[in-house]
Amino acid sequence: MNATDTREDERAARTDPPVLVAGNLTKQFPGVTAVDDVSLTIKRGEIVALLGQNGAGKSTLIQIIAGLHPAGSFAGEIRLSGKPYQAGSVAEAEAAGVALVPQEINVAPEMTVAENLYLNAEPQLWGFLDQPLRLTRAGKALRDFGLAIDPALPMKALDLATQQLALIARALSKKVALLILDEPTAALTEGEAQRLFDRMRFLAARGMAIIFVTHRLAEVFAVSTRIVIMRDGRICGTHATSDVTRSQVVTEMVGHAVASTERARQPVRRGAALTVEGLKVFDTDDPARLRVRDLSLSLAQGEILGLFGLVGSGCIEAAVALYGAWPGSWEGAITLDGSPVNLDNPTISVASGMGFMAQDRRDCLMPDHAVHDNIILASLERLSATGFSDDARARRTTLDLVRDLAVRTRSIESPVGTLSGGNQQKVQVARWLSAQARILILVDPTRGVDIGARGEIKRIWARLSEEGRSILIASTDAEELVDICDRVIVLRGGEPVAEIGRDELTEERILGVAAGV
Amino acid sequence: MTMSKSEELQAGQRRLGSFSLASLRDYMLLVILAAIWCFFYVATDGIFLMPRNLVLLALQTSIVSLAAISAVMLIVTRNFDLSVGSAVALVGVVVALLSGQYDVQPIIAVAAAILVGLLMGAWQGFWVTRIGVSSFIVTLAGMLYFRGLSMIVTNGATIASLPRPLTRFATAFLPPLPSILLVIATAGGFLLLRWWEIRRAHQLGVVAKPQSLFVKTLIPVIVATGITLFIVSWQGMPWLVLLVAFCALAAELVMRRTRYGAQLYAIGGNPEAARLAGINIKRVIFWNFVIAGLAYGITGVALTARVGGAVAGSAGLFLELDAIAAAIIGGTALSGGRGRILGALVGALLMGSLNNGMSLMNVAPFFQDTVRGAVLLLAVALDHLSRSRARSK
Repeated sequence: MNATDTREDERAARTDPPVLVAGNLTKQFPGVTAVDDVSLTIKRGEIVALLGQNGAGKSTLIQIIAGLHPAGSFAGEIRLSGKPYQAGSVAEAEAAGVALVPQEINVAPEMTVAENLYLNAEPQLWGFLDQPLRLTRAGKALRDFGLAIDPALPMKALDLATQQLALIARALSKKVALLILDEPTAALTEGEAQRLFDRMRFLAARGMAIIFVTHRLAEVFAVSTRIVIMRDGRICGTHATSDVTRSQVVTEMVGHAVASTERARQPVRRGAALTVEGLKVFDTDDPARLRVRDLSLSLAQGEILGLFGLVGSGCIEAAVALYGAWPGSWEGAITLDGSPVNLDNPTISVASGMGFMAQDRRDCLMPDHAVHDNIILASLERLSATGFSDDARARRTTLDLVRDLAVRTRSIESPVGTLSGGNQQKVQVARWLSAQARILILVDPTRGVDIGARGEIKRIWARLSEEGRSILIASTDAEELVDICDRVIVLRGGEPVAEIGRDELTEERILGVAAGV
Repeated sequence: MTMSKSEELQAGQRRLGSFSLASLRDYMLLVILAAIWCFFYVATDGIFLMPRNLVLLALQTSIVSLAAISAVMLIVTRNFDLSVGSAVALVGVVVALLSGQYDVQPIIAVAAAILVGLLMGAWQGFWVTRIGVSSFIVTLAGMLYFRGLSMIVTNGATIASLPRPLTRFATAFLPPLPSILLVIATAGGFLLLRWWEIRRAHQLGVVAKPQSLFVKTLIPVIVATGITLFIVSWQGMPWLVLLVAFCALAAELVMRRTRYGAQLYAIGGNPEAARLAGINIKRVIFWNFVIAGLAYGITGVALTARVGGAVAGSAGLFLELDAIAAAIIGGTALSGGRGRILGALVGALLMGSLNNGMSLMNVAPFFQDTVRGAVLLLAVALDHLSRSRARSK
């Protein structure tokens, strides 16, 4: 690009209306205001990093802009390059020049790269698919993006990172004025991420505006020109990247402490309930890739131990493997109460007194079945020792637990799917109490739970630990851990990088360590 | 708002009450059945509802009912069995060959046939759980090679020389007096167990008003007993129907009152949740197929006895489809996690009534199939609509 072009671009940037002007956007979901009166202006050539904790409203905001929430389902006004912009769908948004590359890579693995790139936008000739044109266009889109991929390969032949890059290439093959990347580097290696950043700078220099969402501060400072920080649905800070430091950004992300759930310190450290030495967890698709490299930990009786890390750090995979539920292979020596165990599958774990709550509630609940049936699911052995079920006793157990944990449900016969997120989590707690589990492994246990119920659920953890139960909470959300854990182990890149005791436990601290400040 | 004590008790009561009392949508099915019966009653000048015809209807429905029982148990865990018809034919060949041509004692021949059925079930369970092939494919293959094997063994010929005890089993009746006593004893025993169960629930504080709950159980049981007594008073009860009733009660007991049954429903409700809760899914599904194998054995013997021989080429043809249809009409969800044995029996009865009634009216067979197909579609659609309305309420 020569000097004249640059000057023209600069002039264009001055005179053109901003790419995006969003005014007073508000989006409400039942019981929660996800985006609260947000106004945002983005000019040509800007790379805006959108930061915030889980649940801060980042995702909802970009979904509004990308047409996932159709115009009319939210309040406020959006103008795109000076023109009113009302996208009713992703397709309309793309036609208007806004492209979103979602965080989760959704591809049809058996179909070719070209087929994936032009899904639902297939070039046609007289009403039939134009295969040659599709291959040519796909090839060109990939080459333009600097990717040497044969578009006729099946998508599954590519690794995760390349798939992600191909999808970004797809987004760019259209006439895009505003590109939105949601955690684009979550699946990428360092080198791949650098390549992506190069492309982003190049595209921005050509006048494209880019919003990218990330948790990794190093990336933010490497590539962005401006930082927008969200908290509780609002924008709480906008800075030129060169004007702020990482620690300032972290402080703003965390904001004021949420009403804390103070809990009494464990006075006496009792024996280890669960230990693991040298845990390695392998990727399910690519066994050469390690999700967890080398983790050793010891969970004492009555202790609440946190396992914190950003997306892709391996903390969730480690928790799933410790429960014996990891679908791929893993290795490591686990002991329960001092004796070695072979936790090959959840049946053994449950029999050994462990309980588990998955990251996605839907993996643990039978939504159409009654609260009662969901609660007794893990204690069928105990409640029907003879093989015949003792229905009256099971119901007695359920009713006691429902009252004890204050599960808000119309009756124990209501389908569990009709309960709120927090109450569904309580149903899971009740399940493991009914199964008399001594060790609970919880993954993001307050995800999608509103702030009030979060406190209530955390008080339940505190109570359970006082009763001598051990709890391991694996989370990508710092807020979930700080005021409840005795200790937090922070993972980065599949390895533990720090262990932080209760005295030093703050959101800033663990976020900082996890992000590599 | 946590539930108050009384609300809590009512909640428990609602559920316990719905155990044996037909739930609203089972009721819907009975209404459809009653409408069809009324229609045939008028259309056949009352012949349709005579005890003689009702006994015939029960006999005609018995084979499909037996197959439908195991179909429900499999569909509840999201598995399908397309091999029932062929498996039943193969079992029939075994029992007919042993007892008819090799003069083996009938009782031993029957035992051997049931053993063969169990092995077939275990074989298919092995492929589904250990190798991981979907049950649809495993049983589709089974449908082909079980039929093929029975043709190979018999060379396609019919084996019709069954010993008398076997054919008698399919045609004979338990005389009226013992039948009446048996029906009354069964109903009485059931009510006694129910009363014990409700009283225990009351003692544990799960149920507030045991009497009213018991009365809710009592009414349908008395109605059903009355109808049954009316029918058996004519000539007694066919042994075959007795067999169906016994199998249905046993299966209902397994499904509703054992840990194994709870595990079946849980796996169908959400396999991942069941796995994470420590349920050994492979083992449960394997036994699911072994139970299906037991059903092959029983159904195969019953069918062979009823037909009076083994017809390798046509015995049990389309039985799997009739069984699945009966289960679905009876409220079993194809997506798993929901289904009742008694519902499937009513479903089988509904389809059987159409056959029987239209035959009485001398409707041509081609029309019969068309009508049955239409009724299947309508019944399931009506069920789906009433259910989605109940959910949105």
